[in-house]
Amino acid sequence: MSAPRALRQRAEAQAETLPPLLARAEHLAGTVLLGDHGRRRAGLGDDFWQYRPAQPGDSRRMIDHRRSARGDVQYVREREWEIAQSVMLWVDQGASMRFASDKTLETKADRARLLGLAVAILLVRAGERVGLTGTALPPRRGNGQIHRLAEAWSRDVAADYAPPEHRAMIPHARALFISDFLGDMAEVELALTKAADRGVRGVVYQVLDPNEESFPYQGRTIFESVGGTIRHETLKAGELRGRYLERLAERRDVLVNLCRATGWQLGLHHTGDSAQTALLWLWRSLDGGTR
Amino acid sequence: MTVLGGIGFASPWLLTGLLALPILWLILRAVPPAPIRRMFPAVTLLLGLRDDESVSDRTPWWLLLIRMLAVAAVIIGLAGPVLNPQREVDGTGPLLLLLDASWAGSAGWGQRMELLDTQLTEAGRADRPVAVMRLSAPEAPVFQSAASWRARLAGLKPEPWQPGAGQLAVAVEEIRSVSGGFDTHWLSDGLDFDGREQVLSALADRGDVTVFQSPDPVIALRPAQYADGAIELSLVRSVGGSERVQGVVALGPDPSGTVRVLERAEARFDAEATEARLALSLPSELRARITRFELEGQRAAGAVALTDDGLRRREVALFAGRQDREGLELLSPLHYLTQVLVPTADFVDGALLDVIPANPDVIVLADVATLAPPETSALTEWVENGGLLLRFSGPRMAASDIGRDESDPLLPVRLRSGGRSVGGAMSWGEAKTLAPFPENSPFFGLKLPPDVTVSTQVVAQPDPDLADKVIAALSDGTPLVTRKPLGLGQVVLFHVTADAEWSSLPLSGLFVEMLDRLAVSSSAKQVDAEALEGTVWSPVRVMDGFGQLEEAGNLPGVDGVSLVSDPLGPEIRPGIYSNEKRRLARNVLRSDTTLLVAEWPPSVPVVGLLVKAERPLGGWLLSLALILLAVDVVASLALSGRLSALRRATPLIAAVFVFAPDAQAQTAEAAERFALEATHEMVLAHVLTGNKSVDDVAWAGLLGLSRTLYYRTSVEPADPIGVDLERDELAFFPMLYWPVTPDQPAPSEAAYARLNTYLRLGGMILFDTRDADVARFGSGSPNGRKLQELAAPLDIPPLEPVPGDHVLTRAFYLLQDFPGRHSGTDVWVESAPMDAERIEGMPFRNLNDGVTPVVIGGNDWAAAWAVDRDGRALLPVGRGLAGERKRELAYRFGVNLVMHVLTGNYKSDQVHVPALLDRLGQ
Repeated sequence: MSAPRALRQRAEAQAETLPPLLARAEHLAGTVLLGDHGRRRAGLGDDFWQYRPAQPGDSRRMIDHRRSARGDVQYVREREWEIAQSVMLWVDQGASMRFASDKTLETKADRARLLGLAVAILLVRAGERVGLTGTALPPRRGNGQIHRLAEAWSRDVAADYAPPEHRAMIPHARALFISDFLGDMAEVELALTKAADRGVRGVVYQVLDPNEESFPYQGRTIFESVGGTIRHETLKAGELRGRYLERLAERRDVLVNLCRATGWQLGLHHTGDSAQTALLWLWRSLDGGTR
Repeated sequence: MTVLGGIGFASPWLLTGLLALPILWLILRAVPPAPIRRMFPAVTLLLGLRDDESVSDRTPWWLLLIRMLAVAAVIIGLAGPVLNPQREVDGTGPLLLLLDASWAGSAGWGQRMELLDTQLTEAGRADRPVAVMRLSAPEAPVFQSAASWRARLAGLKPEPWQPGAGQLAVAVEEIRSVSGGFDTHWLSDGLDFDGREQVLSALADRGDVTVFQSPDPVIALRPAQYADGAIELSLVRSVGGSERVQGVVALGPDPSGTVRVLERAEARFDAEATEARLALSLPSELRARITRFELEGQRAAGAVALTDDGLRRREVALFAGRQDREGLELLSPLHYLTQVLVPTADFVDGALLDVIPANPDVIVLADVATLAPPETSALTEWVENGGLLLRFSGPRMAASDIGRDESDPLLPVRLRSGGRSVGGAMSWGEAKTLAPFPENSPFFGLKLPPDVTVSTQVVAQPDPDLADKVIAALSDGTPLVTRKPLGLGQVVLFHVTADAEWSSLPLSGLFVEMLDRLAVSSSAKQVDAEALEGTVWSPVRVMDGFGQLEEAGNLPGVDGVSLVSDPLGPEIRPGIYSNEKRRLARNVLRSDTTLLVAEWPPSVPVVGLLVKAERPLGGWLLSLALILLAVDVVASLALSGRLSALRRATPLIAAVFVFAPDAQAQTAEAAERFALEATHEMVLAHVLTGNKSVDDVAWAGLLGLSRTLYYRTSVEPADPIGVDLERDELAFFPMLYWPVTPDQPAPSEAAYARLNTYLRLGGMILFDTRDADVARFGSGSPNGRKLQELAAPLDIPPLEPVPGDHVLTRAFYLLQDFPGRHSGTDVWVESAPMDAERIEGMPFRNLNDGVTPVVIGGNDWAAAWAVDRDGRALLPVGRGLAGERKRELAYRFGVNLVMHVLTGNYKSDQVHVPALLDRLGQ
């Protein structure tokens, strides 16, 4: 097969996942009513803020003639100061995310990408700059960025558990980390502390499969990670349940403590639940930070 | 075959495989169940977790046990186990198979034949010569090969009697005459009989005797008796035993002559009781029809009680010459007759001409001299049809002139005038006594009481044939009772009065017996031998051992005394015997018979009759193994945590199991939905022909008609329904439109039955052959032929073309013809009654009262009516305006038809409206 054709084929294969993901993300984002987060003070922006009497130093062009013509005083139309935030996203692309316990459920990766992209769409519509953590895709505005994000997230990583990308964090920006956080916690801690050091605040969003929460297994079982690198054999899976749930709770405690220390917010989502509630929660927690 | 603990094994060596079970146990115990691989991202959290217990790596003991049992069942099953293995009977030499072959064994005759068959098979295997002998009909035992006897087995029948002295003597003689020794297998019927010991000892002299006797009781029915207005039945059984309820049925011809069960009752044997009684109270009409009583489920001659005249109460009409003397009961000429007849006969009251149509058995005229001509002719006809006219003389008859000069048809002899009187105060001589009855007299054999005297009588003219007619005479030879046949019946004249004025005969018991012999009265009691002395009874129908009646053929007559008292045998068979008009039933049992169980001396081994069939158990054991393995599969899945997949499949499995009843429920539900759909509004229906285009047009046509009705009339039908004749209930529809196609299948029998019910209950079918354009009705077009074929099983009255004054022509619109898409003229409906005539001044005849069950035509009405959902006509009719007019007329015909169906002859009744209005005006 010639190189261009192979490239084309790969591109088609890639592209065919993009439109559905984009479409679903758009659809999901459409459910959230967008509210602009103005700065509540006059500044550069599109939205009207107030009329104020013209002062010396105001250039003539700033005078709003329509308002001024009603009286003798000349008014200047001020707009609200709107600034664009940079929001950096990180969605876990590790193999562990590509797991669904049931055919009717989405994989965690699908759900995480969907939520990430929907948030990105909302942010772009709100005029924010969106990008990926790391150097691959720095925050930019515009719909093109959505496509680039979608493209970036259509690439799977072979490794079982991908560590959070924490390089090239823009100071005082905002960040959203979506993962199952089942991998090495040290990496997570490192990334969060590093981000906190730079004044970056944001949201840690854990996406889990319902089975990972309930552990409904019985009998002699060999548990394997999705990549097949780690395995554990047990003769009575049912006996492990209690201890497994304990460990899961411990891990969550670690995350909670980490977030409390760094000022991040922690959210939990199961793939069995509705994506919309998750998006609402995400949007509110991100929006809340900007107010 | 090796027998271990009562179970035989075809290949017992396989059982050594059971030794391997403990080894299997150890192996299975050590092997844990195979693990499942599961993908689980949170495996990182599991790392380092250890299993608490180390027990679970072994299979649990109960699972092991299930598997062990399964394997053991397979091993034992393959070893070919057989329950009740047949053991070879030892013994050599000739074998005599002796059967009682009496009625007592016929209830279980099949069982006996099976046993006999087994015995013959075994004897054949051992190569022993066999003879079969029946004690009830003994023949010389012939020792032959078992195979030749088996061929004749089907011909062996039980006789309807117990072995009697005569047969036993023959049997013993035959047994003694056999040379050489032989063993005997005696298939006893379970009842004792005299002389059994002699046979047994004769047999024991020759070899071993084994008795096969069933422990079950023999049940039999004694003759039915009539007492106190009820039929008394008494059942006996040979063994007391536990409580038992036995059904008894009374059989007899119904009015059409078919033998049916007229009555059924249940008799209860108390525990340990050998006798049960039952009283049946039946109307006398029904009682007279009973011919036999049977015990249910007992096919034996002893379980049948035939009835004779004992149950039949004759209907007697009594008339006396002077009825008008009230208060003189004792002087009534009928007093003694009434006394004699009351216990045994029913009286018919009324005037003579009213009584004769009721067809009494006997009409008694006591001192009635003259009869009116119509009475004479009616009476003569009645006698000729088999009636018995019994006349008594008296003063009136003596004074009258009947039968003086010429023989009266209703008198057996001519009479001299005046009669004679002897032995009175004014006469010479003694009162006369009776002479012994001649042999040809029905009274022959009756004992003459010495105190019966006759003082006055009417005297017969000495005609040449007088001697033949006399059946009783006085000691001086004067006829006392004369008789002559007339047609099928007879006329009997007592030359004395029916009261005690002329003779003391009515005061004596002889009078009762004479009436009995004449079958005027019929004895309700058991006939005793004395009463039958001198009579000869010829068998009419005799019973076989199973209690079935057969024609007697040319069996010889039997003396009355021996018929009653002698034991049954080849000469006296149970059955119905007749003498003149009387009938006597000889039953197997007498009213005092008891059944005794045959007891055998301890030296004789007694074996039950039951042949236990060999029953191979291999299949059962292998099935058990399969079931156990299935249980093992489920249990293993449950243990290894893989049951969840199975659980998901459970609804599927459940659906498979529940499928059948569910389907049934669905059809019931569908039927209910259909019924609701058909009844929530009035609905027109058409028969589904299976031809889709025809069905569619029919449906669309009825839709068009329904809409027309809706717009124009107060009939507001819902959408029409296609009816599947095989499946759907028809009762909901006032009419069915049935388009005829040449290829539609004929309905089944059941469907025709329902169609006929539908027609009878007021339904109407509109047959449409749809070919009036090419064929006239009945001219043999394919559709017409099909119509004839379809309608042949239907219950259709005579038809005629619609007459001009039929209700169809004016039920709603006034119509002259009935066009559809074609305008053929022939439309046929139920023909008017023959007597329908046009009344002057009335526009219409008063025709049928009701709706014609069929309307047959070929005008393809549905096509003319057919519209689509939007109300546009589907098919063209004619051309232009003329065509539209034709369609309109077709609709009008449809409206008229539905109106006719729904309102019947209401419009016909409107011819009376002017008269009614006129009356109202007044």
